Amino acid sequence: MEKLIYEKPVISKINAGMPSKFGLPVKQKIISEIDGLAISDLMEKFGSPVFVFSEKTIRETYSEAKRAFETRYPKVQFAWSYKTNYLDAICSIFHEEGSWAEVVSGFEFNKALSLGVNGSQILFNGPEKSEADLTLAIENNASIHIDHFDELYLLIETARKLNKKARVSIRINLDAGIYPIWDRFGFNYENGEAWNAINRIMLADNLELIGLHTHIGTYIMVGSAYAIAASKLANLYVAIHRKFDYWLKYIDLGGGFASKNTLKGAYMPGTETCPSFDDYAEAITNALISSEIPHENLPLLFLETGRAMIDDAGYLLTTTLANKRLNNGKNSLVIDAGVNLLFTSFWYNLGIFPSKETSSFTEETTIYGPLCMNIDVIRDTIVFPQIKVGDQLVIERVGAYNVSQWMQFINYRPNVVLIDLEGKTHIIRKRENLETFKSLEFNPKL
Amino acid sequence: MIITEEIKISDNGFVFNSRTGDSFNLNPFGLNIIKLIAEKKEFEQIKEKVLDEYDISDLTFEKDFYEFCALLKHHQIILQDNPLEFK
Repeated sequence: MEKLIYEKPVISKINAGMPSKFGLPVKQKIISEIDGLAISDLMEKFGSPVFVFSEKTIRETYSEAKRAFETRYPKVQFAWSYKTNYLDAICSIFHEEGSWAEVVSGFEFNKALSLGVNGSQILFNGPEKSEADLTLAIENNASIHIDHFDELYLLIETARKLNKKARVSIRINLDAGIYPIWDRFGFNYENGEAWNAINRIMLADNLELIGLHTHIGTYIMVGSAYAIAASKLANLYVAIHRKFDYWLKYIDLGGGFASKNTLKGAYMPGTETCPSFDDYAEAITNALISSEIPHENLPLLFLETGRAMIDDAGYLLTTTLANKRLNNGKNSLVIDAGVNLLFTSFWYNLGIFPSKETSSFTEETTIYGPLCMNIDVIRDTIVFPQIKVGDQLVIERVGAYNVSQWMQFINYRPNVVLIDLEGKTHIIRKRENLETFKSLEFNPKL
Repeated sequence: MIITEEIKISDNGFVFNSRTGDSFNLNPFGLNIIKLIAEKKEFEQIKEKVLDEYDISDLTFEKDFYEFCALLKHHQIILQDNPLEFK
């Protein structure tokens, strides 16, 4: 006789008066494959946990963003935000698509150069630029986005020493109607600091002001904030022409577009609330086109969006290590991927899904990582089906920041795999091993 | 293991505890197990029946069974004075 399919016995308390607000689907979403490759095969080949990136999704997302802006504005250029994900293979895909590089450190600058990016197609942002970094940027004809006056004077001094002209832009912070205002980066618009900096730069023989840059924040949920920012930069752009009879080359609206992840504490899921590229494009380009800038002098529009461009393309595949029942009767799982690999789990309720059909019986579950630390909570509460030890799970939308901000802690960081357009897999960052660490350490006792 | 007198269990897996006022849902297999417990079957007897009918290893079932019993106790559905009583 054929045996029946087993499902563990469960009893769950009914909490009257707390119906689901959204009538969320009863059927559990399953992610059994990525770009046609089975999760089980990927994990058998590359181990667990493992990050997997889809080249197809990256290129599709890029095309969507490009179309949204290029159909509305004549001159658009994307610059890939290295800090969001600076794995060589990922950066190369964006560069192949036509992105310039947006870097925030000497390390990232050198990484971009090593990938063959022309120095003149690098935007150098960030508050930390040493004299050596500035020298590198000037020598390579990069566009240096000045963050503060000390940097401005260091740059003047460095350019003098090199007897070269530096191409610069200034970063401007402004009130775009969203809070908190990011006033720690750049020069303030409202109090006139930005205008003072512009005047100082225009007087410097060895600086060529070519652009204006702002980055109003991160995970911005309203396109209208970008419209305010674009209008304010357009005002400066026109004011510079009025005073100096000189048109700058570009306006850079930075990044900060929201990905479809759901922020902790959000009332609705990110998939429902997150603006589309079209929403952002409509707000930004309308503001520029309807500004006082004559159409024949419209600046090149730079966008440095990172998160919205890569988050959807990254997955983390993980294995269930244990089922545990907490003291209060709540179910919990331990998986083999911790918060050290998932920096974004601190602010997102990441989507976690089984990789195969499960029982239809779900209950509130806490999902813990494997670190021997109390903070290692991937999801505090998620309605989840019964999962067995060894079952494989998929965490979606982890492409941004996790593989640049991850920490090595008590175990090795895992393989990172790319699925190319032909469905072939490539390890794009190898799993660490003991030798990785031994090679960096020196023990005076031996 | 004794199911307390105040517990009422319907055939579709709905459980009501008239002492605490709490109500619960059982999944189908949980309903099967609680019925066997109500019939005062011992763990070994339950295990034998389950292993005979379901595609499951004895160790996995043992672990799940004890977890289930701990939940029943937590919800005051069964009485169990001695935590080592399950055997």
